[in-house]
Amino acid sequence: MQFKKSTLTQHLSKKITGFVLGLTGFCLPLVFTFSGLSFAGHLALGIFLMAAVFWMFETIPIYSTSMLVIFLQVLLLSQQGLMFSGASLPVTQPLQTGENQWLIPPEALDENTVYIAEGEKKSRSLEVKVLEVSDMARVETSQLSSDTQIVSEARHRLVRYEPLGYADFFGTLASPIIILFLGGFILARASVKYNLDKNLTNVLLKPFGQKPMLIVLGLMMVTAVLSAFMSNTATTAMMMTVAIPIALQVSKEDKFRIVLALCIPIAANIGGMATPIGTPPNAIVIANLQQQGIHIAFGSWVALMLPLAVGLLLLAWFTMRILYPPTAKRFTMSLKSSFEKGPRAVILYVVFGLTVLLWFTEAQHGVPSSMVAFLPIMALTVTSVLKQDDIRALPWEVLWLVAGGISLGLSMENTGLAMWLVSSINWEMLPQLMLLLVFGVVALMLSNFLSNTVTATLIVPLAISMGTSGIGGEGFNLVITSLVVGSACNMAMLLPISTPPNAIAMSTGYIKTIDMVKVGIVIGLVGIVCALVLSMLYWPIIL
Amino acid sequence: MAEIYIICVEDEPQVLDVIIRDLSALEEVFPIEVAHSADEARVLIREIREDGNHIGLALCDHVMPGDKGVDLMIEMQQDAFTEKTRKVLLTGQAGLEETIEAINNARLNRYIAKPWTPEQLVKVAVDELTTYVIEQEKDLLQYMGVLDQARLQEAIRNKGYI
Repeated sequence: MQFKKSTLTQHLSKKITGFVLGLTGFCLPLVFTFSGLSFAGHLALGIFLMAAVFWMFETIPIYSTSMLVIFLQVLLLSQQGLMFSGASLPVTQPLQTGENQWLIPPEALDENTVYIAEGEKKSRSLEVKVLEVSDMARVETSQLSSDTQIVSEARHRLVRYEPLGYADFFGTLASPIIILFLGGFILARASVKYNLDKNLTNVLLKPFGQKPMLIVLGLMMVTAVLSAFMSNTATTAMMMTVAIPIALQVSKEDKFRIVLALCIPIAANIGGMATPIGTPPNAIVIANLQQQGIHIAFGSWVALMLPLAVGLLLLAWFTMRILYPPTAKRFTMSLKSSFEKGPRAVILYVVFGLTVLLWFTEAQHGVPSSMVAFLPIMALTVTSVLKQDDIRALPWEVLWLVAGGISLGLSMENTGLAMWLVSSINWEMLPQLMLLLVFGVVALMLSNFLSNTVTATLIVPLAISMGTSGIGGEGFNLVITSLVVGSACNMAMLLPISTPPNAIAMSTGYIKTIDMVKVGIVIGLVGIVCALVLSMLYWPIIL
Repeated sequence: MAEIYIICVEDEPQVLDVIIRDLSALEEVFPIEVAHSADEARVLIREIREDGNHIGLALCDHVMPGDKGVDLMIEMQQDAFTEKTRKVLLTGQAGLEETIEAINNARLNRYIAKPWTPEQLVKVAVDELTTYVIEQEKDLLQYMGVLDQARLQEAIRNKGYI
């Protein structure tokens, strides 16, 4: 009891610390002014800091932090919100004093930039040569005329920020990538309901026979394939029911139990990388690229990530083979598959097959994967394969979490916050490969302690702005950098808290944290190197 | 965090000792409390409720001085606090009529006839507690070590999250 009480106080003090830190983070940019950051950027920074702290400390559930983020964005950053609904740019006209020489109010000058008003809430910047500043500022430029409206206050909140409508923030919840995930969730739910996942497992495991390490390879391959389409958590739980009867055939001390419990979460984490719908960090990557007008087809994603996933699976398998060589010769497994044959089950099989086929053939028919994803959403509900209860049981909070992440990314780009954050570090010393390495390692480390999705939310917009701002230098590829960050998020599996599949494996009691750390370190470090190699040699060929 | 208790109601101290010994593997996660009569059991249930804890499993003898086991179970079934508690009758002397009453009015979950083997008792306790935590608890991982892993994993698969 004493022990439980102390953990309870610890838990509480962690919440309070998070709450205080989060609020401080929110207020910081409101109190201090950072040069080079727009007014809206300050607001976005406040939201970013608070969200980051709340996500890290789990002061409130991570999906509710997302909801808070969207609320604050609508309230503070939208066109219709408190800060911007009544605001319009104060304007004045410059006074000509000579050829290409103009007098303007000194407040209209931001170092050597003036802003030309192009509407009530829209302005563009113009670099001028400052000649002298006293009561009025005298500047030289050939770009002004006497009827040009210039912004009279360079520090006005609308300067360098064009507020988005509130619907844009709300709209993230129905963005194409969310619909793609919803399609995936629907297919997964129906598969669980009609035991498609279990039956497929039994069929797919058969060819792997009875030798211990082959069984492990089979478990890993099947887990990876399923988790590429289903949630990593549900896949792990299902595969554990297959692994437990095998584990019970060896003594409690046999190290083969470690392998059995460890191989499944590892494969589930890795398998999630393979398709866009495999795991939520992929959604963050795709959504952030989409905002830059870069579309990644379902099939291209698989082509990009599959080699990495397969490589890591084999790596994990070899590592475990060396660390925990099996003693038993063979195992018996009962792999009876009994596919349901009712009309609804058959509809599910057809819809599932058709959806996956359409996803992989986007290059041929050109229909985006998110549109295809609406096929199962429609077909499986119209035919009552899934009913009201099933729809209610979908993991909606995951969609909220991702939507909040996408929405935050929107403001980080739009307010110039992301660019300001990355430009505060001097990157020029670093070659391209080192940049990727830095981003990958930071994402990997964070992701071991935070939710993978949250890590992607915090890091991917920064990586993207490296490219869009030009800070990343010549040849900086947005897609490749985002992919490195995204895969690094999914490679974090050092600790039981790193991912839900790890927590499930740990709870079996077959493994100790040190076992997870050993294999996790190998996967994390070699994984980052593999991703970098692919980013240099293979990904550029596909893109 | 609230604890989930196992309570055993049995008037013979030797039998009670055997039950506790048989279930000792579960005690680390599910604290076991004993009562020697229905009246003692009522006091015990009240204490557990006042401490903010729950009762996951009640193992109850039938023939005891004072109120009978079946009466206690019916009472528990009618009280919202113990309605979800898994109820096991552990007896050699309950007649047909009383047994029927227990099933109909106390929603008895299991009937164990004396004498039982330790394996039997543990299996029943594990099965019933697994059902209880799947129905009542959010975080199932903490029970993997002592309860039915396969069923808990299956429950997580169905929920899709942990």
